[in-house]
Amino acid sequence: MSELFFQQVVNWITLGSIYALIAVGFSLLFGVLNIIHFSHGDVSLLAPFFALSVISALGSVMGQAGSLPVLLLGLAVAIAVTGAVGVLLDLVVIQRFRKAPAMMALVATVALGIVLRELIRHLFPNGSNPHAFPRLVDGDITLAGYSVPLFSLAVVAVSTLSVGALFFMLNNTRLGLHIKAVSQDRDAARLMAISPGRIFRATFFVASAIGAVGGLFFSSYAGMARFDFSIDVGLIGFSAAVVGGLGSMPGAIIGSLMIAGLDTLVQAVVPNGASYRLVFVFLLVICVLVFRPSGLLGRTLVEKV
Amino acid sequence: MAHPSSQPSGNALSAAFIVLAVPLIGAGFLRQFLLAEDWRLVLGLLALFAVVLVVLERLPALETRIETAFARQSRLALLVGIVVVLGFPFALGGNTYALHLCVISMLYAVLALALNFQLGSANIPNFATGASYGIGAYASALLALNFGVSFWLALPAAAVVATIFGFLLGIPSMRTRDSYLALVTIAFGVVVHQLLNNLEFTGGPNGLVGIPVPELFGHAFSDPLVIFGQSLPPQANFYYLSALLVFISIVFAERLHDSRVGLAWNALRADELAARCQGINVTWYKVLAFAVDAFLAGFAGTIYAFYVGFISPDNFTFLVSVTIMTMVIAGGMDNILGVIVGAFLLTLLPEKLRAFSDYRILFFGVTVILFLMIRPQGLFPQRLRRYGD
Repeated sequence: MSELFFQQVVNWITLGSIYALIAVGFSLLFGVLNIIHFSHGDVSLLAPFFALSVISALGSVMGQAGSLPVLLLGLAVAIAVTGAVGVLLDLVVIQRFRKAPAMMALVATVALGIVLRELIRHLFPNGSNPHAFPRLVDGDITLAGYSVPLFSLAVVAVSTLSVGALFFMLNNTRLGLHIKAVSQDRDAARLMAISPGRIFRATFFVASAIGAVGGLFFSSYAGMARFDFSIDVGLIGFSAAVVGGLGSMPGAIIGSLMIAGLDTLVQAVVPNGASYRLVFVFLLVICVLVFRPSGLLGRTLVEKV
Repeated sequence: MAHPSSQPSGNALSAAFIVLAVPLIGAGFLRQFLLAEDWRLVLGLLALFAVVLVVLERLPALETRIETAFARQSRLALLVGIVVVLGFPFALGGNTYALHLCVISMLYAVLALALNFQLGSANIPNFATGASYGIGAYASALLALNFGVSFWLALPAAAVVATIFGFLLGIPSMRTRDSYLALVTIAFGVVVHQLLNNLEFTGGPNGLVGIPVPELFGHAFSDPLVIFGQSLPPQANFYYLSALLVFISIVFAERLHDSRVGLAWNALRADELAARCQGINVTWYKVLAFAVDAFLAGFAGTIYAFYVGFISPDNFTFLVSVTIMTMVIAGGMDNILGVIVGAFLLTLLPEKLRAFSDYRILFFGVTVILFLMIRPQGLFPQRLRRYGD
C-alpha cells in the first residue's frame, strides 16, 4: 500500500465523516417531517461564521492567553446557536408548510437557503470574501508506519460519537421514542399525548446542531469559511441522504461514504478532476435514482389502488 | 343590475371600450415604469399596481366584466394587443435601456411560460430551466461560430438540441418523484453548468464571444430599424423578435392548456394515482412536460445569445432557474397572464431599484418565501376551467 494511496483513504474517510454529519440531518428531518429541508446545508454552514464571531469577540477581550478555551467556547456556542436557528426557521417559515403540498415546502426551503446565504454575505463583516478558519486539531500521528493527521482522527472520532449519540437517543430515550412515534403517525402520536410541534422543534435542534458540527469540520478542513460553501456542501449532503434513502440513518452514512469515495477518486484520478467533481457525484445520484428510486436503503413506497 | 346578455348592443360597445382601454392602460403603465428614474416614483407605481389588483379582487363583478369583454371581443382584443405591442417601442422615445429591459423581460416571460407547463400545470418541480436555456444558447452560438450557421437555422436547431436534453432529463422522472425528482433537476442544472465551465469547446469560464448578429433580408439586426420614416434603436429588432416569440409561446401555452395534454397535466397535479387510473400515461406526460419546457427555453436561449453576442456559464446558473421559478410562483401558477406579469415585474424591479441591486438575490428569496406563505396562488390565481363558451 503506497503512501499516496493511504493518504487518499484517510482523505476519503475524513470527507465521508463530514458529509455524513450533514446527510444524517437531511434524513432525520425528512423521516420526521416528511418534507425536504433543503436549507439544512445552509443552516449547517452558518456555524463557522457564528464560531468566528464568538472567537473574534472573545479574543479581543481575553487576548492571546485563553486561545484554546475561547476556541472551544466559540465552537460550543456556534453549535448551540445553529441548533436554535434551525428551530427558529421552523417556527417562522417551515411550520407553515406542514399541510401544504410537498413541492411548496421544497421550493420554500430552497429559497430559504438562498436567503440565509445572502444574509451572511450582507450581515457578516466582509461576508463576500473567504475568512480564514482555524484548523481545529493540529499535528500528525504515526499509525502502522503511516503518518495520519490528528485532524482526520478527530473528525472520525467526533462524527462517530455524534452519530452514535444520535442513534442512542433515537433508540433508547424517551425523546427518541417520541420522535419515532411522530414520524410514524402524527395523529396517533398526538393521541398518546405527544405534542408533534414540540417534537418537530426538538428534531430541528438536533439535526441542525449535528449539521453544525459537520459545518465546523468542513470549514476547518478547507481552512476557510465562505458564504457559498453551503451550495456544494448542502447539495452533496442532500445527495448522500437521497442515495442512501431519505429517512434511513444508516443509508445516509453509506451514501456519504460513497459520495466522498467517488469525490476523492475523481480528484485523484481524473485530470483536472476538482472542477468536475460535482458532475461525477450527480451522475452517481442520477444512476442510483434511476435504478432504485427510493435510494439504497429507503423504504419503497408503492401506491396501490 | 341587468344581466350582461340582456343588452347586446350596448354591451358590445362597452366591451369594445374595455378591450381598447385595458391594454392601453397597461402599456401606459409599463411605459411609465420603464422610464421612471426615481426610486420613489417606482415604488409609487408599484403601490398603484397593488391597489388595482386589490380593487379587482374586491370587485369580482368588475373582473368578470373585463373577462367577458375580452372573451366576446377576442378578435378586437388580439388586434389591439398586436397594435400596442408593435407601437410600444415608439412610445419609449428612443430610450435604448428601456428597450433592452423589454427584450430581457420578454425572454424571461418565455422561460417562465416554459416552466409553467411543469410547475404550474403538472406540479413537477424543475430547477433546470436555466440549464435548458443555457443549452439552447450554447448550441446556437456554437453552430454559428464553428459552422457559420445563420441565426434562422440555428434557432430551430438549438431548440431541437435543448429538447433532446429535456427528454434526457425527463427520463429519471419516469421513476422518481417529488423531492427525488427535484434533486435530479438540480443535479442536472449543476452538471450542465460545470460542464460548460470546464469543457474546452464551450470556451470554459470565458464563454463564447463574438456571436454574429442575425440578418433578415439584408437588414442586419445591429442597424437601427426604420419604420415609416421613424428610426428606432437597434434593440428594436430584437424587441420585435422576442415579442414574436412571446406571442408564439402564448398561443402554444393556450392551445396546450385547452388540449387533452393540458387536461392530463392538470390531472397529474390533482392526483397522480387517480390520473393513472383514468388511463393517463403518466410517464409520457411528465417527460413531455420536460421536453416542452426545454423546447421553449432553447428558443429563448438562442435569442439571448445572438442579442447579447456573448455568453458565459454564469448566465445560466442555478440562480437563474430559481429566478424563473420565482416569476411563476409570484405571478400565479397555471395562469398565462400572471406568469408574464411575474416575469416583467421581477426582471424590471431589481433594475429599477438600482440602489438595492446588491440585494437582488436576497429579494428573490424573500419574495418566494413570502408568496408561498401569504399568497401561494400568486398575483393572478389560476382560473377554473370553463367549458361551453
